[in-house]
Amino acid sequence: MANLRLENVTKRFGPITAVKALNLEIRDGEFFSILGPPGAGKTTTLRLIVGLEKPDEGTVYIDGEPANEIHPGKRDIAMVFQNLALYPDKTVFDNMAYPLRERKLPKDEIERLVQATAKSLYIDHLLKRKPAKLSGGERQRVAIGRAMVRKPKAYLLDEPLANLDALLRLEMRVELKRLQGELGQTLVYVTHDQVEAMSMADRIAVLNKGVLQQCDTPEAVYNFPANRFVATTIGSPPTNFVTADVRPHGDNLLLAHSVFALAVEGGRHPARAALESAAAGQALPEKVLIGFRPEDVRVSTSQANGCNVPAQVSVVEPLGGETVVDLRMGGDLVKAVVPPTQRLEERRHVWLNFDPERVHLFDARTGQRVYTTGQGEPFACLEAVH
Amino acid sequence: MYQTRPWQKVLRYFTIIIVSIMFFFPTYWMITMSFKPKGEWNSAAGTIYWVPQNPTLDNYKTVLTEYRGQFFRANQSSALPSIRSSIVVSIGGTLFALLIGTLAAYGISRHSTDTGDLPWYIAVGRLGLLVLVMLPFIVLWARLGILATWYGILTFTIIGIVADQIIGRVLGKYYKGAVGSLSFSILQLRMFPPMAILIPVMIMWSTFRLIDTWYGLVIVYGVVTFPFVVWLMKSFFDDIPKELDEAAVVDGSSNWRAFFKVVLPLAKGGLASTALFVFILNWSDFLVALLLTSRNWGTIPVFLNKLVSSEIGAQHGPKAALGLLAVIPPVVFGLLIQQYLVRGLTFGAIKK
Repeated sequence: MANLRLENVTKRFGPITAVKALNLEIRDGEFFSILGPPGAGKTTTLRLIVGLEKPDEGTVYIDGEPANEIHPGKRDIAMVFQNLALYPDKTVFDNMAYPLRERKLPKDEIERLVQATAKSLYIDHLLKRKPAKLSGGERQRVAIGRAMVRKPKAYLLDEPLANLDALLRLEMRVELKRLQGELGQTLVYVTHDQVEAMSMADRIAVLNKGVLQQCDTPEAVYNFPANRFVATTIGSPPTNFVTADVRPHGDNLLLAHSVFALAVEGGRHPARAALESAAAGQALPEKVLIGFRPEDVRVSTSQANGCNVPAQVSVVEPLGGETVVDLRMGGDLVKAVVPPTQRLEERRHVWLNFDPERVHLFDARTGQRVYTTGQGEPFACLEAVH
Repeated sequence: MYQTRPWQKVLRYFTIIIVSIMFFFPTYWMITMSFKPKGEWNSAAGTIYWVPQNPTLDNYKTVLTEYRGQFFRANQSSALPSIRSSIVVSIGGTLFALLIGTLAAYGISRHSTDTGDLPWYIAVGRLGLLVLVMLPFIVLWARLGILATWYGILTFTIIGIVADQIIGRVLGKYYKGAVGSLSFSILQLRMFPPMAILIPVMIMWSTFRLIDTWYGLVIVYGVVTFPFVVWLMKSFFDDIPKELDEAAVVDGSSNWRAFFKVVLPLAKGGLASTALFVFILNWSDFLVALLLTSRNWGTIPVFLNKLVSSEIGAQHGPKAALGLLAVIPPVVFGLLIQQYLVRGLTFGAIKK
């Protein structure tokens, strides 16, 4: 069991800063996921934890002990590489026995441990084969087995499912979650696939360009994204953003888009305070980004109660279980997820009806989230102000 | 597929036959000549014997035994010492080059940031700059009278290495792109024609008392073939994903053990072919051995050159016999490692 902590860790490769002043704490026994696009510094973060890279600044702590100077082999952390890195000239047995042999365990003990681990991963019939003769899923299991066999404090997995086919990926996802539950060990899981992160992790750290964007539970990351980047990365299709002007309107504030407006009613509305504090120096920002998820939008052919925004259907993508609709709303393109039973033709004029409880406001310049209606008071909705 | 006309076929086979004759006739001639008696390889009448008329092993006896001439004392010794010498210095030089070259290649493959191809004008320019910078030192060292002393040579060498690195840095500042670094300096060693460095090496070796010793030759062979080892082995190591050694390190190996237990076994095919290549280079060297040996450690090529008698001139028969014997070791070596020469390492470890 291990508690892993990165304190102010920076890593540069020449002119590129791969990881920038990263603070991260991975708790004991946690299924922790690091999510980000390619080049976000995810793999570098793993390599820093296991010790294959030395931080230029900051400290990596393992169980509270500074570990910067500890050799990777002495950290008692196992890592599964993205390309698996199985030793091609060694059999599955020798691959899995390698870490035990390096620890000078007695022969019968090695035999016993490898057999037991192989059994728990359903690869005990493959022990005499070489990696080249295995399928993708089997290799995956061997790599995990090589990590498991020495019972490390923590596991680091670098995109372990990235190169498997879709069906196998689903299977291994469940398998991994089961394994982690049984082992009860700290597991750090790097992925660029938000579905994997959301479905498996206890907590998710979202990285972009080496900078930590948000680190929280999957629900919190989904419901309260820290900024525009997180809101776009988490959830599929990504969150819709439209720009609105901020206009004082008597006691109220109007967040005016070309085809609709949200009204922040009253001088004591928490959104007003949030907007004011976001616009450092000025009283109020001129523009604000309104974000809402495609899942939170209903599309109807007639006006309903609440906020009705006129829009035109642009593209319809039926996915079977749901249908994604691209809509033209004023000058913006937004997406909505509708039930598959709803029939919508392209170019049809419809009404968008979004959940007033689930609207986010983002700073137009920095992209930081400033306010979410779910947290405080909702907005009133005005239609078609020009 | 396109059609091959009959005359094209004829032309193709004709070419193949001509080229084959060009390549194989000398071999045939050497083999047959080694079995010809003196009268046939040195026929007075100018008759050409295409096939030995009276096959004999005399030539082999001549080169393998001591021969006392009628008028001079022991004017010809046996080739056995030179065969021993060739074996010792070739194997020694090969092992020496492999030892330092393989380690250097691994280091460069894993840690060098100097990638990218070097344009020829940068390579030549850099070398030219180095020569220019070093010229005044030669003059100065000569004036000081230390050009041929061990400390003179040592300081000159160190200044040369430092100057080369400084030139690299300075070039790197003004030229965006590859200017070469350590790995380039190693390759640069190959740009000198051997003749250009041999005379200084001769002076150095006589200063260090390394002339006509087996270790003196081993050092030269090792150093001269070292760049080949580095560049060949680097390409083999580059083919082995660095995640493999990293996995070994994470699994608890030291960096050295990761290299010896994981990386080197995967590169053994490359190591074998590099060893063969370097061995053949050393085995067939004439120039270095000629200049750096005298009585005791002359190699087979040097001995071949000496196979001249005062009675009949060049002794073609014994030369052919010794030449044929000299072919055996590389061929045997090649056959022994044949299975490793195939680069069919299945890299099943890595999912692509």
